[in-house]
Amino acid sequence: MRTFGLAAFFMTAAGALPAQQSAPVAEAQSVLAPLVESYGVSGMEAPVRATVERLLPRWARAKAETDTAGNLWVRAGKGDPVVVVVAHLDEIGYAVSAIRDDGSLEIMARGGFFPSLFEAEPALIHTGAATPVPGVFMPRDSIGPTPGRTPSHFRVDVGTASRGATEALGIKVGSTITMPKQYVRLAGTRATGRSFDDRVGCTALILALRGLDPARLRHEVIFIFSVREEVGLEGAAVAAAALQGRPTRVHAIDTFVSADSPIEPQAFAVAPIGRGPVVRALDNSAVTPPPLVDSLAHLARARNIPLQIGTTNGGNDGSTFAPWGVPDVAIGWPLRYSHSPAEVIDLRDVAHLADVVQAIAERW
Amino acid sequence: MCRTLALVFPNQLPKVVRYFSHRVDLAGEERPMKAPAGFVALSLLLLSGTPTEPLCAQTVTAGELTLRLAGMTAVTGYEQAMVDTLLTLLPGAVRDRAGNAVLVLGNGPPRRLAACPLDETGFAVGRVRPDGWLTLRRSPARTHLPGPLFDQQLEGQRVTVFAARGPVPGVVAVRSVHLTRGRGSLSQEPFTVDDAYVDVGAASASGAADLGVGVLNPVALAKRPHRYGSDKLAAPWVGRRAACAALLAAARRSVAEPGKDSRSGSTVVAFVVEQQLSARGLLTLATSRGPFAESWIADDSVGARAVQAADSNPELGAVGSPPRAALGQIHAWQISTAYPGTAVETVSLEQVEHTSAAIAGWLQGEAGQ
Repeated sequence: MRTFGLAAFFMTAAGALPAQQSAPVAEAQSVLAPLVESYGVSGMEAPVRATVERLLPRWARAKAETDTAGNLWVRAGKGDPVVVVVAHLDEIGYAVSAIRDDGSLEIMARGGFFPSLFEAEPALIHTGAATPVPGVFMPRDSIGPTPGRTPSHFRVDVGTASRGATEALGIKVGSTITMPKQYVRLAGTRATGRSFDDRVGCTALILALRGLDPARLRHEVIFIFSVREEVGLEGAAVAAAALQGRPTRVHAIDTFVSADSPIEPQAFAVAPIGRGPVVRALDNSAVTPPPLVDSLAHLARARNIPLQIGTTNGGNDGSTFAPWGVPDVAIGWPLRYSHSPAEVIDLRDVAHLADVVQAIAERW
Repeated sequence: MCRTLALVFPNQLPKVVRYFSHRVDLAGEERPMKAPAGFVALSLLLLSGTPTEPLCAQTVTAGELTLRLAGMTAVTGYEQAMVDTLLTLLPGAVRDRAGNAVLVLGNGPPRRLAACPLDETGFAVGRVRPDGWLTLRRSPARTHLPGPLFDQQLEGQRVTVFAARGPVPGVVAVRSVHLTRGRGSLSQEPFTVDDAYVDVGAASASGAADLGVGVLNPVALAKRPHRYGSDKLAAPWVGRRAACAALLAAARRSVAEPGKDSRSGSTVVAFVVEQQLSARGLLTLATSRGPFAESWIADDSVGARAVQAADSNPELGAVGSPPRAALGQIHAWQISTAYPGTAVETVSLEQVEHTSAAIAGWLQGEAGQ
């Protein structure tokens, strides 16, 4: 276990921020920042997968395998009970649906988000080449005197005037589109960026793998970095079908969408950032059996890791194991403004989430 | 580094230290530099003692200056950081009582004016909430917004708060899409400034104060100039910035090549403030340095159209009124924009160079267009 656990527990309880430059926070940031600044709209996760592989400890990199769906697997330890931990590689965005005669791009959403957040913003078109093609998400064609908040339709301009010129840039139907991203520190231990969902989950898995001694594990733990979660949990479904009923538990490590802001209804999902990871005990895809929630809370207490318990909206990869009766104990970290260009986290939660994952692998 | 340093005057040093103690990062955003201000000041003092050398005006193009200025912010009434930059980039220029950056070429009458408005419609911190979030008000309040969705561009995007101790990054809160599902339909009313809650990562008002954040700090979308196509540049207010860059590059050329203007009299080159509020900068020039035989305004399409319709422009006053009359015949150099008034307002850098060349020609006595 990280020595950070106990110290952070007391610091969190005190509401202070002396851990701003602590080693676990710094390490979490060193893993998270390059992941956030990698691009991987659902179905085009290769750059993110490559970044994950680069950040893995050497022993894990040697064991890493990519399945036919594109999921990256790292197996550690041997024997039952098999435990699966899964975080997804992909992010929301757009894909090119057609190239118009004037060179502009018709687009379709990949994943769920407010399209108004992309309207009239810079764009990057990912063609598979090393450098994306820059462009802009155009404003809607017609505004009128009383426009609605949500644009019905908008396109992407890559600065060309013909279909041929656009195609000459390597753009084709299916190319994915994002806004440019930047990881930026805010006050204290907080940070903003886009696609913290689920690069924070990937970060927690990587940090946990770095902290593990695989020779000392008492059972097999399978770490899966999954694809196409945002478009229907597709990668995890492939992994679940491959493993069927072998796992004794699955842990989806994914966003806890938090109502921790003045503009959200406060009926549920109120998990403040900076107060630790959250057991995502009830969401739109799974309900964690209460005894397992209790067991996880006990494990966290034993390791002095702050842990919140809550309910939020959204589905998670672990639910794809449901047909085989595998319990889904989803764990997240609180995230403000999910699926926006301005997601906000607290890095202490990332470090503690890694502690939880490591504790699960070593002790549960 | 450009050798404008050699022309720094001692009374400008604090401004220059402030200028050089911040850098515009690769994303075009202003950030504090690691070098201590004292070190920078010492370096500048040493450099300012070196013989004056020719400016590197020929090596800095209008396009490069556009990229530089497009990464900066000048909310109406809070333009002085940009004026600081202009004073360092345009040796001999001074700040007048309105806060304009002004350079005079030549002497005496007849007087001519070449000006560019600096300001942009933006925001200021209106309140620091006890929970650390900031709320905003628009500046200028009395304004014709570029469009009904102007404020909506803030929602869910990164902003910069220009706080007492330097720029502070923040974001404007947006509802999490997941938490809206199954809870009734969302309002389709456009987002307005009254819906904006800025999150700088502070958990309390005192946490915000620790960052130097307070009421009246200017706030704007984070400026990350974005190049695309063969010569396009997108950024908020880039049309106006490009117009100023075109004028700046032309004026730098005139300074570097003195004596080329065959005309008699003088030309006032000015970068003016608060055009969107009351045209205070421009009218102050008219009353303090006019009357002008003619005035040329470099601006984006919208601003240039407003100037060309000056007879009906309330900010400039009635045609026969003293300040307006002192501007003489008004003309415009216009930078065309695509997607005006949005975060991806776009200019052609090639057109910026052409416009700058036209301005340079006018400064040297040729026809304006």
